[in-house]
Amino acid sequence: MNRGKVRGQVLAFAAIALVSAGCGGGGDVDVDDPAGTGGSDSGGDGGSENAGGGTLVAAISAQPDQFDPHKTQAYASFQILENVYDTLVVPDAEGEFQPSLATEWTTSEDGLTWTFTLRDGVTFHDGSAFDSADVVYSYNRIIDEQLANAYRFASVASIDAPDPRTVTITLSAPTPALLDNIGGFKGMSIIPEGAADATDLATTAIGTGPFTLEGTSAGGVTLARYADYWGDPALVDGVEFQYVSEPAAALTALRSGDVHWTDNVPPQDIEGLEDDEEIELGVTPSVDYWYLAMNQAKPPFDNRDLRRGVAFGIDRDEVTEAARFGAATTNQSAIPEQSLWYHEYAPFEHDPDQATELIEQAATADPQPMGLMVTDEYPETVQAAQVIQAQLAEVGVDVGIEQETFATWLDRQAAGDYDAFLLGWLGNLDPFGFYHAQHVCEGTSNFQGYCNPEVDELLNQAAAETDQDARKALYDQAAEIIVDDVSYLYLYNPDVVQAWAPGLEGYEIRADKAINFETVRLPE
Amino acid sequence: MRAGETLRLLFRGPTALAAAAVLVLLVLTAFLGERLAPYDATGTDVSNRLQGPSADHWFGTDELGRDVLSRVILGAEVSLRVGVVAVGISLVAGVLIGLLAGYYGRWVDDVLMRLSDVLFAFPAMLMAIAVLAILGPGSTNAMIAIGIVYTPIFARITRASVLSVREEVYVKAARSAGAGDLRIIGRHVLPNVTAPIIVQTSISLAFAILSEAALSFVGLGTQPPDPSWGRMLSEGRGFVEQAWWMAVFPGLAIFVTVLAFNVLGDALRDVLDPRQRQAMAGTGVTA
Repeated sequence: MNRGKVRGQVLAFAAIALVSAGCGGGGDVDVDDPAGTGGSDSGGDGGSENAGGGTLVAAISAQPDQFDPHKTQAYASFQILENVYDTLVVPDAEGEFQPSLATEWTTSEDGLTWTFTLRDGVTFHDGSAFDSADVVYSYNRIIDEQLANAYRFASVASIDAPDPRTVTITLSAPTPALLDNIGGFKGMSIIPEGAADATDLATTAIGTGPFTLEGTSAGGVTLARYADYWGDPALVDGVEFQYVSEPAAALTALRSGDVHWTDNVPPQDIEGLEDDEEIELGVTPSVDYWYLAMNQAKPPFDNRDLRRGVAFGIDRDEVTEAARFGAATTNQSAIPEQSLWYHEYAPFEHDPDQATELIEQAATADPQPMGLMVTDEYPETVQAAQVIQAQLAEVGVDVGIEQETFATWLDRQAAGDYDAFLLGWLGNLDPFGFYHAQHVCEGTSNFQGYCNPEVDELLNQAAAETDQDARKALYDQAAEIIVDDVSYLYLYNPDVVQAWAPGLEGYEIRADKAINFETVRLPE
Repeated sequence: MRAGETLRLLFRGPTALAAAAVLVLLVLTAFLGERLAPYDATGTDVSNRLQGPSADHWFGTDELGRDVLSRVILGAEVSLRVGVVAVGISLVAGVLIGLLAGYYGRWVDDVLMRLSDVLFAFPAMLMAIAVLAILGPGSTNAMIAIGIVYTPIFARITRASVLSVREEVYVKAARSAGAGDLRIIGRHVLPNVTAPIIVQTSISLAFAILSEAALSFVGLGTQPPDPSWGRMLSEGRGFVEQAWWMAVFPGLAIFVTVLAFNVLGDALRDVLDPRQRQAMAGTGVTA
């Protein structure tokens, strides 16, 4: 099967989980330094005039925890790595996979062998040539060291390099989401053979991407254009990422021209910025979802009727408005409307009477106490929780909001020490990523303790189903049961909100929040 | 008669009187709380969010449509309760430590005061945050944390006064007459070291309220949706451009309260210090 034919099954694919609910959390240190101490030629205005294209200055809200693409889980790290590393295949803005380090690929009749042809003339930032041994090394590193993304190779039996330009992946079961598994995000980057032993990948980067990692400081990260890049070289000379934790500071810097781009735009500012001529605002639906989960290992939250009562008691429209100021779409399942895999299913109308009835029957106390764990790392959870608290008070649930630091939050989630929590999953493309690890009985992200054998069977079948329509039907069925059982109580899909300088050309805002400055040209 | 004299001297000037009036008003507000608040302080009304001050909502509404005035009123109760309980904890613990250390001296003094020094060595906020990291966030734990942090101050002040009182003739006389330690401490030492403690209590109340606001600001104190001035300030920070009233009114509340406690504390010190008092009495004010 060549690339053109792959299309049928490839539109939109598995879990990117750039920062996942369960395991995100590195890089949560804010360094509030709007001025930046990067020490490079910052200050966009001056630089943009010269022939080289100038330096693009991007203000990001959080600091990367490290630069090892196989180990980091922090979105802030991937914002930078997106521009430094490459994967074999890469999703375009629609989620369709395009060639990157692999130029074409075929699958065998039985779907168990995938053969990738690699690109010629690619060199790493250290000057060494790229070949199949690097791919085998990179993937085996993830598998052998059981790194966070090893689960993406769960169905992979072996990875071989029959010649320097060819890589073969042999599977134990058909895996329709394979392209997403190996190319969905930069966590599956190709690093040079032996790089992990030769250098410290946490602080340096040897990729094949359009920019090289030049230096880091307390205030930011500096990238420079890689002259020997295999594609068209980047238009700007370099990119300077500055850590700006205060949204007001980021927007002020954008207005004054000190910064060209930022993703630090709180939803409440959208309305005021729409008519602002000094700022170009980008708002587009994302593939993220936010949800409430109840601890099903703990009575009375193990009672399906009680969970359904809570689901009827919540007014999603109000929660969404409170948390996102309209920059989101309510949803009762995980996958957003824009996705090919969207399945319209909304059994829960806001119905306080039915909620009261269900909760009364299942509760162990009146009112039923429920601790709701939230984190200031994601302020929208704190806002949503206060509205949910007021709504559930009317149907016999006394919500106690427990605001924790994210580290404590994650500890408590892992230990099962909670009644309920609010959080989101970011960056999924394939339904495998939306549903599998969160809802199969032994799922690695199934912290809520949900277990329904019927759902397990459907999800496992769907993971190996190669016919797209049949696969979607299986996921739709599974999703309906998950929603009905209230394994997760889905709330909404937020919008991506970014802002940049008017006249900045070639930037594309994406649903998966990948940030790529390869084709960007600075304003005149 | 001495208390009456003290009060008369205290309220000679208008500032102390004004401060006291503010505090009386604050205490009344805290006691009336929900009866005084025009709306339910935790009742959300998202369709009515971020409304500016108006006849319906004197202080406007916040990002979830809650009435800011009602939240400021109920926040008074939170601030006062945390302040009073926290200072109560440090007062009792600190004075006890100070009395024992000062009266018995020698190794008792060394052990107790070196422990206090260790506590004292940490910046107050850092110490409070560390305590809350162990106990977990919440307003009860915030009271305990603030109480622990301010204990060494009371211990030091008490000890210093006890050291001089211990050598007084009447203490020696009591001992010669066969009085036990407990009686001497309770009847002769404690009443004579109260002045500086009272002053410190007033000033500590201001600091405790400020600490509660700071801890709530960073999310470790009062938990949502309960109103706390510090938390309201922190929530309002993200909306300064759209809704200044969210941060300004709780900020003013903190400012006025802390100022009132400080002014009163200063005035008390002037009055209770024997030398100052003599000077004041001697300036020709008719007695």
